[in-house]
Amino acid sequence: MTVALLFAMVIGLMMIGVPIAVSLGMSSVMFLLIFSDSSLASVAQTLFSAFEGHATLLAIPFFILASSFMSTGGVAERIIRFSIACVGHFRGGLAIAGVFACMMFAALSGSSPATVVAIGSIVIAAMTKAGYTKDFAAGVICNAGTLGILIPPSIVMVVYAAAVEVSVGRMFLAGVIPGILAGLMLMIAIYVMARVKNMPSGEWAGWGEIGRAFGDAFWGLMLIVIIMVGIYGIPGLTSAIFTPTEAAAVASIYAFIIASFVYRDMGPLAARDGQAKSSLLRKPQALLTAMFHRDTQRTLLDAGKLTITLMFVIANALILKHVLTDEQIPQQVANAMLSAGFGPVMFLVIVNVILLVGGQFMEPSGLLVIVAPLVFPIAMQLGIDPIHLGIIMVVNMEIGMITPPVGLNLFVTSGVAGMPMMRVVKAALPFLAVLFVFLIMITYIPWISTVLPNAVMGVQEITN
Amino acid sequence: MQTHPKTSIIDRIEETVIAALLGMMTLLTFANVVVRYAFNSNILWALELTVFMFGWLVLLGASYAVKKGSHLGVDAVINILPDGLRKIFAMVAVTVCIIFTLLLLKGAWDYWANFANLPRTEGHWFPTGFQDKFRGQGWFETNDIPHPAFLNWMAGVFNDGNAYEKLPRLVPYMVLPISMALLLFRFIQAAISVWKGDIDTIIASHEVEDEIEEMRDMRKESQQ
Repeated sequence: MTVALLFAMVIGLMMIGVPIAVSLGMSSVMFLLIFSDSSLASVAQTLFSAFEGHATLLAIPFFILASSFMSTGGVAERIIRFSIACVGHFRGGLAIAGVFACMMFAALSGSSPATVVAIGSIVIAAMTKAGYTKDFAAGVICNAGTLGILIPPSIVMVVYAAAVEVSVGRMFLAGVIPGILAGLMLMIAIYVMARVKNMPSGEWAGWGEIGRAFGDAFWGLMLIVIIMVGIYGIPGLTSAIFTPTEAAAVASIYAFIIASFVYRDMGPLAARDGQAKSSLLRKPQALLTAMFHRDTQRTLLDAGKLTITLMFVIANALILKHVLTDEQIPQQVANAMLSAGFGPVMFLVIVNVILLVGGQFMEPSGLLVIVAPLVFPIAMQLGIDPIHLGIIMVVNMEIGMITPPVGLNLFVTSGVAGMPMMRVVKAALPFLAVLFVFLIMITYIPWISTVLPNAVMGVQEITN
Repeated sequence: MQTHPKTSIIDRIEETVIAALLGMMTLLTFANVVVRYAFNSNILWALELTVFMFGWLVLLGASYAVKKGSHLGVDAVINILPDGLRKIFAMVAVTVCIIFTLLLLKGAWDYWANFANLPRTEGHWFPTGFQDKFRGQGWFETNDIPHPAFLNWMAGVFNDGNAYEKLPRLVPYMVLPISMALLLFRFIQAAISVWKGDIDTIIASHEVEDEIEEMRDMRKESQQ
């Protein structure tokens, strides 16, 4: 009962416009002060232990930084050019290329809204120019953008791994096949719609253009290779080279070097004031000045700001998690559900519903920190693989972001496309249906999620 | 969404601290990898120091995020309210934030105080006075971070003159009371702005609000 009060307070505070972080923290503090002997000092300690006790979460600022460096300039454009060269000549090709570009950009960034902004701002305009309706374009990008949290590296997966203590590496691998599958399903849906409605197709520009576009996008796409090879090593040659956190830090440094010295979209060598891009040979001092350049500071600040707002939510969600585990709420919920005779199927349906509703209102990582510890013990008792559960939760939140009335990605797309919210909602519906089918597949076919991590990292023993 | 005033000196300081902390965290973690592979060695204290800098970044940055109105929140409900009601909701919301920060400020002080040989406050909800007797923990060191020479004066102040080998815990934990005090200050400022009608909400609905605002401006320009 008191727990219902706790959650009612969280939701109530959020609805009147209290920041999510404060809603979570305030409700937990109230609960602790009223119902237990815990001191405020222990709350402060829990707040600090979000950092001190969770070294896994350290990967988050680094992944954000890497993707910020990659978003500074034309990496999105280069990726889009490469996608168009590959699939632009199909019927509905530009839309398919948009999905493909979102998939690749999702692998550079760990966030869905960021993917919508980077790809959407270019592709939606290009599609309207090529003769697609703006609604169709917005619907495509809005849905494909959600892949940002499913295709690794993903911030939400890092948070899940930290919350229930599974390996980040496994979670990332588990996201690969579902991510590609979701992308393919969207592409097929677009292709069928394009055939039926006779949408425009682009020109086949030849293998030469594919090669050139790939060469141009190569340095950006290498980031994925560095992260994946770094975390898993090359099968048969090396074992893991970095921890996921280190891989993220190395990726940030790599992205900085590429953005300032290879692409020269930012920093001392960038084109500005009508001058063309400068070369490192002509300006060797740039090697040093780039580190303190205005653009570098700006990017660090942007990434820092995003880290702060996300981590402040997560840190406060961890206080709530602390309250829940102290009061043994997860065990109580588990017993209640098990004694009510819920099997795995019913349980997964309930998880789906909770996350779809919650994902509408709340930032996905904060929601995960709270919901994961609640459902995790039940899942273990029902024999559900923790990695599979993680992927289910991520996909649910993806869909929560595009479910009307208030999905986060709907807002972002409406801003990017300059369209009223209701039009975006309508435009996104057909693809939302596709993703729902995808969710059902992910939920009831664990193989899709677990086959790759089990193949690469060995079958994980489930201890309980 | 709030309109951003011009960058002030204080802004510059806060922004530099945020950028510098994140930059140093990245470089230090990267350096540790390089040292491991190139010199087959290990910077023992790298991870612990990075984690502390991470905590400093987020806790100190939280007050900056209040100033810039970028804390994430849900604006679905408040957006459909009439102006008058929205102001009342915003006042209630910011009051909740101030109460929360006051409570945390007490908690942060209580947690840190003993590490710095200072008394905790008494009281469950509100500070009702200071502890009479307590055992100082100024001797409590971090696990790996060496004590830097410029902080040698601390031995005399906090550790009865015994030199520290490792950085004492009072240094990293000091961020708790400092950041909560700053946060309180910013929330009070935000409350004044809401009261005066300069801003009508203290939250941002998602992380890319700035970018979308820019796009909206560009669209307006291109239409003119």
